[in-house]
Amino acid sequence: MTLEPGGRFPDLDLPDHTGRARRLSELAGGDPVALVFSRGWWCPKEQRHLRELSSLQDEFEVAYTRIVVVSVDSPEVQSAFRAGLGARFVFLSDAERRWLPELGLLEQSDTLHRPYLPTTFSLLPDLTIHRRYDGNWYWGRPTMEDLRQDMRAISAQVREGF
Amino acid sequence: MADLPEGAAWISFDGQELHRGGGEGRPLMVDARCLEGESVEGAYAHVCALADDDARLPYDQPEVQQVRRDALAWWIPLLGDSLVCLTTLALDEAGYAGAITVTRDPEQLGYDPFARIFPPTLVRTDLFCSVAPPPGPVLERYAGVAWPGGTFAGK
Repeated sequence: MTLEPGGRFPDLDLPDHTGRARRLSELAGGDPVALVFSRGWWCPKEQRHLRELSSLQDEFEVAYTRIVVVSVDSPEVQSAFRAGLGARFVFLSDAERRWLPELGLLEQSDTLHRPYLPTTFSLLPDLTIHRRYDGNWYWGRPTMEDLRQDMRAISAQVREGF
Repeated sequence: MADLPEGAAWISFDGQELHRGGGEGRPLMVDARCLEGESVEGAYAHVCALADDDARLPYDQPEVQQVRRDALAWWIPLLGDSLVCLTTLALDEAGYAGAITVTRDPEQLGYDPFARIFPPTLVRTDLFCSVAPPPGPVLERYAGVAWPGGTFAGK
């Protein structure tokens, strides 16, 4: 599976942080999405990055745009982590590693947790990939300004009268 | 009554009971999805609203923004599987009249953040159906529809 700009991201079906079954297309709900694959709560880089992302949610919430985080943490752990971050967006749990091999996003260096390789995708409402960020090295991750620019570009493309 | 935007439906509240349509009490617009599926019998509707027409605030008021943030952050997770659906109550393009949280049991309803704005009335009802809770973080309304209803998909 190639997850590159112009391709369509698979319509993930996973439980959210409350254990409720969700689909990525349902979560998008017709809006642009920042889809963030995260190692998990234990990683200091993820804690830093997701705190940063939580600070951006105040803009996402008024801009008809979504944030979705995927990790291998269980829903219970995600729920606690989410509450600690003060996040109001959805976490999806792939604790069973059901989508991880299909997406080809296994981090090879961490054989203990077998987590996702930190990767972020900005998506159009129909899940077409606008941009991909490989964040194994922390500076490869999108800055909040990168995400603003992506959401602006996608909104300009899909919103009538932008 | 205001024009009904796409994605909205009317209910009415007389201070004690809820009725389908806008004719038996104060007419209020809800997220239409809450009325469209197979209804959950004997559910508990926590109606944080008044029948008085003067009980209204702008949706953009900070208190109304913040209570929706609270709903996304902890109210929906706290309710878990008990949650049937949740809708705010719209009067028109700008007017907020309260909210209804519908659950299968009433145990957690004392924590309802929407009760900070308008006082609650507990109503047993068969009106509502299960709707997946809003994913967040979107707080803005879609073309005047009662949050969290509506979408820009296909527009």
